[in-house]
Amino acid sequence: MKRFIVLASLALGLGGCAIVPQNRRARLADPMMSLADDPLEVHRKQKLYSTREGAAGGDGLAAGGGCGCQ
Amino acid sequence: MKRPASAGLALLVLAAVTGAREAAGDDTKPAETKPFPPLFADGDILAKPAPYFRLDSAAVRYTRFDQSGTGYQSRAGKPSGPGSEEMRVEQPQLEVVIKQGAHLTHRVWIPVDVVTAASPDAIDVVSTASRRNEAASVDWTATYARDHTTASIRNGHHEEENYRSWNSGLALTRAFAEDNTVVSAGVNVVLDWFDRYTLQGAHDGHNARSSINFNAGVTQLLSPTTVAHLDYGYTVQEGQLSNGWNIVPTPQGAFQLEKLPAERGRHAFVARVAQHLPWSGAVHGSYRFYLDTFGIAAHTVEVELHQRIASFARLRFNYRYHTQTGADFFRTSVPLGAPIFATADSDLAPLHAQTVGVKGTFDFPVSFARTLHADLAVERYFRSNDLRVSVYSCGLGILF
Repeated sequence: MKRFIVLASLALGLGGCAIVPQNRRARLADPMMSLADDPLEVHRKQKLYSTREGAAGGDGLAAGGGCGCQ
Repeated sequence: MKRPASAGLALLVLAAVTGAREAAGDDTKPAETKPFPPLFADGDILAKPAPYFRLDSAAVRYTRFDQSGTGYQSRAGKPSGPGSEEMRVEQPQLEVVIKQGAHLTHRVWIPVDVVTAASPDAIDVVSTASRRNEAASVDWTATYARDHTTASIRNGHHEEENYRSWNSGLALTRAFAEDNTVVSAGVNVVLDWFDRYTLQGAHDGHNARSSINFNAGVTQLLSPTTVAHLDYGYTVQEGQLSNGWNIVPTPQGAFQLEKLPAERGRHAFVARVAQHLPWSGAVHGSYRFYLDTFGIAAHTVEVELHQRIASFARLRFNYRYHTQTGADFFRTSVPLGAPIFATADSDLAPLHAQTVGVKGTFDFPVSFARTLHADLAVERYFRSNDLRVSVYSCGLGILF
């Protein structure tokens, strides 16, 4: 796990050295490239997993709470 | 000697021509006319200022979950279990985003859950928990954005038949390196207050619990076609962590209420990457590692394949695999009155689960708004310990 975190941090750090200029971000602006889902769909997914997997949640929002099923 | 004579001749010709033009000009001078009134005002040229409050987007979504399966925590069956986990959830949602001035955005979100479940119904004879349970939340987020920084504050309230909850949160994001790197951090607090029941289902006062969550993340552009995100979240929960009606069977064929520790620390680490594909597509991959003080460790891998099929339409195929170890105190049978932590909740059992799904998204250009959005999604979730869920979801939105 520690090795993964170190490697991932290194990968991002090295990537950060190569600036992508504004005029080369057309593909990144495509809605298909969005890492964040539509918020209503995020809630749908959270509802599916947070009430069925004890290991769900904790990334972005509090794990547990907000629902009597949890 | 020739040069001065030439120069004098040239000057003479120039004067003659100039004089002729001036004379002609006197004859052809246009009569003075009144100035025309302007055909347009300054406001027609300059962009009109946007209204101080303006509707940015409105969206609705309807989702239905159909669940079947069994679990030892359920009372809907024989006492030694497992009982039915049959459940149906209908979930309409409404979201409105309003811009206030140049920097402030408000998001108001109202999700509703109508849950029809077998297990709570088993204690409905003497309790107020019912087979059909309606729940609703109101959630408001205000985001202030200026230059490369955003700050958000979030507040919400959740209300249902035997349960109330309040949540608040703060979040900050800051972009660096010509917006190639975005760093985010946030804190969320949730307070829950809910009914407590006796084993027989009688109402027995109230329980409470709190959850505090800290998050930090970074999003990084790696190339003109690649973006990645890392996120770490830590949540600590305190109070009554059981829902109040889950049971643990006993070897004698009876049952008792589950008993959980009063505190739980939860770590979640997520890495995501998205890569644009040359054939108008994109692939997303994510890995999530989870660890908590109940003894659960989990790994989750998810892959999404996006494909544009028309200028206004695209498809998404998704697959997710999740595996987790069980809580240290997970048991499907415990002697009556044993002074130990015990749960038979199938969600806290060792398990692996898979999800497959497909979604179609359509963004139509329209005359009355920027975009009319519609989508339709179907998913199937199946878990190794006898649980299956079919999910049907459709969304409709207008981006003004």
